[in-house]
Amino acid sequence: MAVGIRCHRTLITVVALAVLVALATPAGVQAAEAPRRGGTLLAVIGADPPSLDPHQESTFATLQLVAPLYSTLLQSDPYAYPKIIGDAASEWKISPDALTYTFKIRQGIKFHDGSALTATDVKATYDKLVFPPEGVRSVRQNAYSAVTSIEAPDPSTLVFKLKHASASLLDNLASPWNVIYPKKYLDKDPNYFKANVVGSGPFKFKSYTRGSTFEGERNPDYFVKDRPYLNGYKFFISTETSVRAAAIRSGRAYIEFRDLPNADVEAIKKQLGDKVTVQQTPMTGQFGIAFNNTVKPFTDVRVRKALTLGLDRYTAGKVLFPLAGLRDVGALMRPGTEWALPEAELQKLPGFGKDMEKNRAEARRLLAEAGYPNGFKVVLKNRNVKLPYQDFAVFAIQEWRRIGIEADHRPLETAAWFADGRDTGNFELIVLPTVEASDDPDLFLRRYTTGDTQNWGRFTDPGIDDLFSRQARALDTAERKKLIQQIQKSVLEKVYYMPGLWWSRNVVHWAKVKNYVAPPNHYANQKLQDVWLAED
Amino acid sequence: MSTYIAKRILLIVPTLLGAAALVFLIMRVIPGDVALLIFGGDAGGHIDPKQLAAMRQRLGLDQPLWVQFGTWLWGVLRFDFGTSLWTGRPVVEELLIRLPLSLELALAATTVSVIIAIPFGMLAAIRQDTWVDYLVRVVSIGGLAIPSFWVGILCILLLVIFFGWGPPLEFTPPWVNPWANFQMMIWPVLTVGYRYAAVTTRMTRSTVLEVLREDYIRTAWAKGLRERAVVIRHALKNAMLPVITLIGTEFAFLIGGLVVTETVFTLNGVGRFVVDAVAHRDYPVVQALIFLTAFSFVIVNLLVDLTYAWFDPRIRYR
Repeated sequence: MAVGIRCHRTLITVVALAVLVALATPAGVQAAEAPRRGGTLLAVIGADPPSLDPHQESTFATLQLVAPLYSTLLQSDPYAYPKIIGDAASEWKISPDALTYTFKIRQGIKFHDGSALTATDVKATYDKLVFPPEGVRSVRQNAYSAVTSIEAPDPSTLVFKLKHASASLLDNLASPWNVIYPKKYLDKDPNYFKANVVGSGPFKFKSYTRGSTFEGERNPDYFVKDRPYLNGYKFFISTETSVRAAAIRSGRAYIEFRDLPNADVEAIKKQLGDKVTVQQTPMTGQFGIAFNNTVKPFTDVRVRKALTLGLDRYTAGKVLFPLAGLRDVGALMRPGTEWALPEAELQKLPGFGKDMEKNRAEARRLLAEAGYPNGFKVVLKNRNVKLPYQDFAVFAIQEWRRIGIEADHRPLETAAWFADGRDTGNFELIVLPTVEASDDPDLFLRRYTTGDTQNWGRFTDPGIDDLFSRQARALDTAERKKLIQQIQKSVLEKVYYMPGLWWSRNVVHWAKVKNYVAPPNHYANQKLQDVWLAED
Repeated sequence: MSTYIAKRILLIVPTLLGAAALVFLIMRVIPGDVALLIFGGDAGGHIDPKQLAAMRQRLGLDQPLWVQFGTWLWGVLRFDFGTSLWTGRPVVEELLIRLPLSLELALAATTVSVIIAIPFGMLAAIRQDTWVDYLVRVVSIGGLAIPSFWVGILCILLLVIFFGWGPPLEFTPPWVNPWANFQMMIWPVLTVGYRYAAVTTRMTRSTVLEVLREDYIRTAWAKGLRERAVVIRHALKNAMLPVITLIGTEFAFLIGGLVVTETVFTLNGVGRFVVDAVAHRDYPVVQALIFLTAFSFVIVNLLVDLTYAWFDPRIRYR
């Protein structure tokens, strides 16, 4: 009898533990089900890529299509963003002075043309990224300004030498954009991969019809045993949001990796019920407004302060979230991350206090003090993209009217938004988002330093430059955090830039798509090596 | 007749040159260039002025305008429309991917519009001010008033909501899989066909009404001819000249003018290609496409003029 009771108790304990483990496991990993092999993942995407070379592009339209075809040196953990794990690198060592990073390159990785991937290929790839040859664009080159040389002493060893410590280096080496190319093609033509694909990823390139479809097929020689599960993947390109949503509803596509508006998501859920899954994640990006700090009246900090005080971000979050996914109020680093300003600190900054009547009164007082007691007229340039650019601008303009600012909304097509606005400085105010592939502070904060190519507000503040340079070298997280908070406070107290709201996204997919965990941006975790389909 | 055709063909040259020169100039006047777009990227890139200058040089944008235009024109004479500045691929290659779809859509939509418009336009005219006429007029005014892309979105939503089915997202040529092609093309063909049927129905009704009041029709009735003979043999043929012109112009427009409909039905057609090329300031593509559109308009108009002779034997071309 005693034995019976003991068995019973043991059974209860085992069951309870199993339930606890199941509850504690992230949704995507909840794969007690055995992965099924086969099938083609059908996806819809909202844009056609300008080229196929992620080193030279900054649009998801390039990355989502080709990421499954390539390996990277490191990567963010598909199940646990922002943890960094190896991909082509199996392990790495950092010297005590943090000036030398040594990576062990896995043996047995093959490119799709049959040749072996060695440290020489990784070196050639990073040489192209960090020291691009004449006529080759490398959009993320500034992220590696600490690197002085890259060496490959033997086929399985890669060494990065730095001129100073770089707290962000590992993050940047895990960038999904830095796909590894075979050296022999780069030697022939550094622009070869704009139109061609030779990778070593879980899938091989199959076909691409511009404006229509992009397909990859299973790589049987992939270095991770038994992966990928899928036979292939296929993207359908459609620029119309309602068409992409309808494609999911009709089952013509199983997933949209970027974002669908809440209204479409609700309609899909209503029709398909538990046949679909919606992963709502925050986004490593926010939409804000840049002042041209070199033109009047925005050379006057009182005017800039008045404009940020006049925007009710907390109401904006409620209004714009269902329309455009803009939701969270935050400073220059994403709310909820270790780098974010604490709520109490944030609310002390101009425009972030919750008493809007007080904010508006202060805005009017500042405008009067600056010589604009009746407000003024201004042009707000924008990109003619509805979600969320225009929705956000319309809200801001209505808000500013209440403090006497009449902003003329001028949406421009992308080419003009670059050439007649952002890139040439021909603007007073311009809607400018900051969206990155990770929460790395270097990526987000470099744009507030003097002369940075993304310092669209065109301001100079030696204090911020110094803080940035110190945080970039700070290996102690607590110290770095303090410096990062100081940068955010400096930018926001002097209102060089005006953050609006942080974005969120809805990744909608059929429930039969398994093992995909949406990270907080539409760039990471796109290799699809672990994704499988429960049915075709 | 042959002299007339030769003259018309010769006139094509200045027309096309004019269109090409105009588009060339307009594209250079609007702000933005492709080099900046290539470097700009989605979220802003690191633009080094030296790199930008090198890119402009590589794309030939540093040359004087007349040299750029001359080079392009010389290429056209050799049937070389150049290379896309945005994709780096030959323009003709890019065009050939899209042309079959656009031609099929234009042909099928024109056919649908003619099948609907001619009989119903005629019927409305001969039954003027009856319920038939009112019905045809209401339906055709509806077609004119409602944009076809909106009908398209509605059509997709209704299919998805009521049948859980949506049209395929990828074009399959009819010679590869006629059924898949039919499933995809039928919806845009019907929505666009309806829109153009509305225009043509109104035109057919008006012209038939006008002809029915002519003396020779009264004579035909007086002779005791049957209704069918009066309407088909005497009225319809004479009423067709303006309708044919309209159908011809519509057809030429449909080849490259269905941008929004193509977007709604994920059709990778010529219309979307032109708009994307304008957005990217992809000069060779825009120039080539406008040139080809102008060419198709000129040819279709020539064919329409030649068809006149068959409908009205009094017309003689010199």
